[in-house]
Amino acid sequence: MLLEDAGDQAAFGHFGAVAGYALAARRAMYTFQTGPETWQQIATGQRKWANLNPDATMYGKPLTPEDYMLSGYLVEPFRRYDCCLISDGGRACIITSTERARDLKQNPVLIMGLGQHNPSSAIEQSDFMTGPTGAKIAGQKAFGMAGITIDEIDACQIYDCFTYTVEITLQDYGFFRPGEGEDWFREGIIEPGGRMPVNTSGGQLSEAYFMGLTPLTEAVMQLMGRCGTRQLGPETNTKKPEIILCSDNGATLQTHSCSILRRL
Amino acid sequence: MTYKKPLPNPTPDTRTFWKQCKNHRLTFQKCNDCGHVRWPPALICPRCHSVSHESIESSGRGTVFTFVVYHQAFHPAFHEDLPYIVAIIKLKEGPQFLSNIVGCDPDQVSCDMSVELVWEDINEDFSLPKFQPASR
Repeated sequence: MLLEDAGDQAAFGHFGAVAGYALAARRAMYTFQTGPETWQQIATGQRKWANLNPDATMYGKPLTPEDYMLSGYLVEPFRRYDCCLISDGGRACIITSTERARDLKQNPVLIMGLGQHNPSSAIEQSDFMTGPTGAKIAGQKAFGMAGITIDEIDACQIYDCFTYTVEITLQDYGFFRPGEGEDWFREGIIEPGGRMPVNTSGGQLSEAYFMGLTPLTEAVMQLMGRCGTRQLGPETNTKKPEIILCSDNGATLQTHSCSILRRL
Repeated sequence: MTYKKPLPNPTPDTRTFWKQCKNHRLTFQKCNDCGHVRWPPALICPRCHSVSHESIESSGRGTVFTFVVYHQAFHPAFHEDLPYIVAIIKLKEGPQFLSNIVGCDPDQVSCDMSVELVWEDINEDFSLPKFQPASR
């Protein structure tokens, strides 16, 4: 399977997603200020959320900046902790009309805005690997449909196949300008107690990899108030969320989907 | 010694490319209508959808757009090469091509450094276009 997916690139020893995203991350290190110092904050920040989530694969396994820096390279510049988990399992959420949802036992969550954008061309020809990726236009479409601005977002659930994916996605949505990620992530902004919680289940880096449904179902459950010890609000010294932004992307940053959800 | 690494698998689109590689010629399709030099090979131009094209030979000169260093072998035959470099080369003629940087310590590679083509004859059927730091 890995060999088939790699096509003729296998002749050059190029396989799989780690190296594809690592190529993007390396170019980003050259184009703007980023690298392990930035990505370390994403890996350790999300791990703090995982340690509040008994269902997370990495529950009970704290990760320090030193652990991150001392872990070996898989495909440089990516270390082990830059990469998502490999998981068996499943996630689902049920979609119905608002009218019907109001009559159900659980608190429903509304879809405010959706946007997709797919730059699409193969990774060798990519001129978007350091942004803007599909996140920029997909985000603009979703914000437009929702009729809100980025200032109204209370938390984010970002597709985090790799740490760099979180950085470039938040950057393209407009949370910070290119290269300002290292400063933005500092002081634990995405962590429990932070101003902009990100990937509050631990995400795919530290909870489980269920493709786009890891972020989406976490957003739904947070807005429903079903997240126990990791629940956004007073329990985690964060704002009780009204609106959560979710992302999903595919291939090597070649497709992007943005969803904005809110509490009913 | 038998060559154990994966081989290219020519398709109707890529057959000519690999055949020319065997002759140590790195060739690309150039659109006869808009002039776009494309990779990978295809029936129609991705820019203007023209089906008319000619074959051009690349100078083999370009720069490193980006690169990674494999520290883990995802196929056993690459184990002995670790650490090895995979890079996207931006060729002078326009296309970006994924290959290896050889004859160079991973610490010496950087984005936008100049590289030149070097051929690796791997068996009777295939030669792989690889790149090394430019000599001038």
